[in-house]
Amino acid sequence: MLFRYVTIVAAIAVIAAILAGPEIAAAQEPAPESPPPTPAPALPHDLPVLSITGRVIDALGKPVAGASVGVEGGAQTVKTDRDGNFRISAPIGSTLVIDRDGFDPALANVTAGKLDDVVILAAGTHSETIEISGEAPPASPGAAVLDRTELQRIPGTGNDVVRTLTAMPGVVNLQIPLGYSGVVIRGSSPQDSKVLIDDFEVPVLFHNIGFRAVVPAEAIQSLDYIPGGFDVQYGRASSGIVALETRPGTSQRTTQGEVSLIDGGVLAQGTAGDRTKYMLGFRRSTIDLVLPSLIPASVDLSLTTVPSYYDGQLRLDHELSANWRLFLSSIATNDVFELYATKDEDARTKRFYNNTRFLRLTLGAQYHEGPWSAKLALSGIAQEFVFEAGVYQRIRVQQPTVTPRAEVMRTADHWAGLSNVVWRAGAEAAVGRSTLDVALPIEQREGEPMPAYDPKDTSTRFSGSFWVPDVAGWTALSANLDPQIRTTIGLRSDVFGRIHEANLEPRGELQIKLPASLTARLSAGAYRRPPEFQSENLSTNVGSEHSAQTIAGLQYEPREGVRVQTSAYYTDRSHLLTHNMDGSLNNNGHGTTVGAEFLATYRGGPWFGWLSYSYSHSTRVDAPGADRRLFDFDQPHSLNAALSWKHGRWQLGGRFQLYSGLPITPPIGAVFDSDRNLYIPLYGKVNTARAPMHHQLDVRVDYSWTWGPTDLTVFADVQNVYLNDSVVTYFYSYDYTQRQAFKSLPIIPSVGLRGVL
Amino acid sequence: MNRAVGLAAGAVLAVLGACTGDLDPPWQLDHDRIIAVRATPPGIAAGGTSAIDALLGMKGGKTHVAPPELARVVSPASLSDVLSFQAGAWVVTAPGEARLAAARAELKLAADAPVPVQVGVSYAGQTLFATKTIELGRPADNPALVNVMLDGVPAGPSEIIVGKLVKVPLSIDADDTDFDVTWLTSCGTMHDFDLPNAYLEIEADDPEAGELAVVLRDARAGVAWNVWSIRAE
Repeated sequence: MLFRYVTIVAAIAVIAAILAGPEIAAAQEPAPESPPPTPAPALPHDLPVLSITGRVIDALGKPVAGASVGVEGGAQTVKTDRDGNFRISAPIGSTLVIDRDGFDPALANVTAGKLDDVVILAAGTHSETIEISGEAPPASPGAAVLDRTELQRIPGTGNDVVRTLTAMPGVVNLQIPLGYSGVVIRGSSPQDSKVLIDDFEVPVLFHNIGFRAVVPAEAIQSLDYIPGGFDVQYGRASSGIVALETRPGTSQRTTQGEVSLIDGGVLAQGTAGDRTKYMLGFRRSTIDLVLPSLIPASVDLSLTTVPSYYDGQLRLDHELSANWRLFLSSIATNDVFELYATKDEDARTKRFYNNTRFLRLTLGAQYHEGPWSAKLALSGIAQEFVFEAGVYQRIRVQQPTVTPRAEVMRTADHWAGLSNVVWRAGAEAAVGRSTLDVALPIEQREGEPMPAYDPKDTSTRFSGSFWVPDVAGWTALSANLDPQIRTTIGLRSDVFGRIHEANLEPRGELQIKLPASLTARLSAGAYRRPPEFQSENLSTNVGSEHSAQTIAGLQYEPREGVRVQTSAYYTDRSHLLTHNMDGSLNNNGHGTTVGAEFLATYRGGPWFGWLSYSYSHSTRVDAPGADRRLFDFDQPHSLNAALSWKHGRWQLGGRFQLYSGLPITPPIGAVFDSDRNLYIPLYGKVNTARAPMHHQLDVRVDYSWTWGPTDLTVFADVQNVYLNDSVVTYFYSYDYTQRQAFKSLPIIPSVGLRGVL
Repeated sequence: MNRAVGLAAGAVLAVLGACTGDLDPPWQLDHDRIIAVRATPPGIAAGGTSAIDALLGMKGGKTHVAPPELARVVSPASLSDVLSFQAGAWVVTAPGEARLAAARAELKLAADAPVPVQVGVSYAGQTLFATKTIELGRPADNPALVNVMLDGVPAGPSEIIVGKLVKVPLSIDADDTDFDVTWLTSCGTMHDFDLPNAYLEIEADDPEAGELAVVLRDARAGVAWNVWSIRAE
């Protein structure tokens, strides 16, 4: 029965994952007043003057009412109507200047009597991103930065960070991310990469059900995806970084809400006084409201607490002075469910319970004066994870952690023969108190085939508390060696107090500007991940995992809106944690990953295009002399092609995915343990088979209109429209004599409604 | 904490397998399998003997009890000679106290702890394998099947006749935290097959006749079973 119940859990997750539709899209964002258009030369008098019609829309394709449209150099201006339409007399060949509070001015050439839609961007749309990333280090080869607008426009990703990440080159794609809670980047385990929100790590990226990100896209200002070669300011990771910045509030008050089959939420933002902006969001799952009706009555399942989640976001920004800016950000999330794999709720052996929750609160200050800048922050996180299965197995983890962090930056135009010099130095201390109550089987590690499930196995037992003090410091220098050559060299030191280990991690990058809008980049560095995954932090006699990364890339930006980047990388991994025969841990594993990536993006007029491809080959050796094997998440090929188009009230988008299946270790037999009533599988060589390649097409349609003071958008998101239910993995009968393909659900549409007031 | 999330997700994955669609469920008797291996008794004092047999299921056939075709001691190797084939049966004979004490030392067991001997057995021309533990140095008996109720009446030796398309309650007096209960059948669909209180439903397209079995295991390698013929009307 437990088997059946877990099947239902998985099925629910599958349904939710495929249902996982797009959520909160951008509100029409009023912004600080824009500067007036630059005075222009006089209007030519010898050109034929026509009655010109056109329409002004924003980045999301919504009509912009009340925009001022004038001929460059002329005095006449008209206002756009409610639908964004305008009519003005202008000569062919002249330029129209479109202006509206809250938007950057836009220009349009008059080439005919009826013009194409003119897109004006919200003021600060770009500057917000630049402001945030301006103090960040240069991204490495293969990295990508997406602001909120771009996040919301990548077709087929439904405005969700989790799905957006799967479109990134280097991210392993999988129909259902079962078995992990992070991101699998460049042939590394999920725990090797970190997810940061406002510079500080969060323990989970997505909710248990639906695999929705714990932060809605609407509450995100930007997403930095750094698959490798990351700067010295980032640590405790041996693969990549996903850094999210929460969204500062806008200068004008807006409120929006959205509901879909997965969840619903509200977000409010605006100002409090002259110098303070706020953003406040809250979201709750709705899938739990419909889920009980989807479960057939014949299923032996009792959902005592239907799977559900909540999350909330808060951000306050205050301009203290011309030099100081303060911010407070908070992220909270809570996932819970409890069920019995039987109709009989007295059957304690059939109980399954999970509660995952955390609250992160960060108080920061940014200082800038002349060549000096500084970022100071104090962040704390309260986190708890509870998992109980049946009578015997449980884990309860609490680890409150406080992290003070400081970084200073000094710029100089020239220094020691270098130009455009930036020097940075920083330090942080993460001090946590971990309290664990564990009674579980020895966990399955990467590269280990799935063991038999014994509900009475509690081989790993621990109850107690310990401190986890980690300290880090870093410094880096960036400078131009030549107008065409820029370099960054840095050094990071991590001290992992729990295991009494100190590390030095040198990192560097070289950028060379080449002719024809090309930039070549080369980065290399050393990285460490402390032992903290699963039961790793119960051992104090193991060390951190090491990686050494080398990345070369080319970047091509022939014109505004077009960007092409390629990269090739080699990662050497050592000191990987593997199991001894007795279940204890050692650092005897090593491995390599080699790969290449391609990403091309296009933004122009109503079109947004995205094309990414990744090749990767990742292997591991678990012990000296052991055979080299494929990494569990080795995915040689991954292709994502997405395109969206906006016209008037409509937005259409589609995304095609094609990617390799993951390796599989097939069982070759089993021995029946009669005492435990359990079949112990016997496996062949690890990861010598592979699930089939998967491909699917996702489409999304948005329709927007205005109803009174409210902008409304209804959307439909359909994944896997041509019903390709390819194999995710295989499941085996209790005695391993039969197998059945576990397939993704073929098609499930999601619909929703969004309103912005 | 994210590490723990991964662990829990792994645990969920670990039990996904044997449950859906066309796979034979664990309660299916109509399947080539070793259902349970029994040592009688499962715990013996020094010098005592224990005989090994097993309940077997065969696809298209009836369950039956048989001694192993082959058997050998899996662990500890130092006690490999305690197993012998005598008069058509595989028998474990507990050695004297001196060897048991030496075995306890080898296995780092307490002075009065029983010495577990794991025996591997095979059937069906070495296509079915199982292991069974016999505890040496401390006598123990197999558990008893107590208060077995089938379709609301105490179980007897005769064939059970049940209705179709109805819930047929099955129960045994056992605490599922101390005992492992398994209900099996080749006639109908078993629900809550691993709980003391289960029920059987025979759908229209199910076989109308077959067998019903219950297997009870305790925490000290003891096992007991019973098998009934069952027919739906």
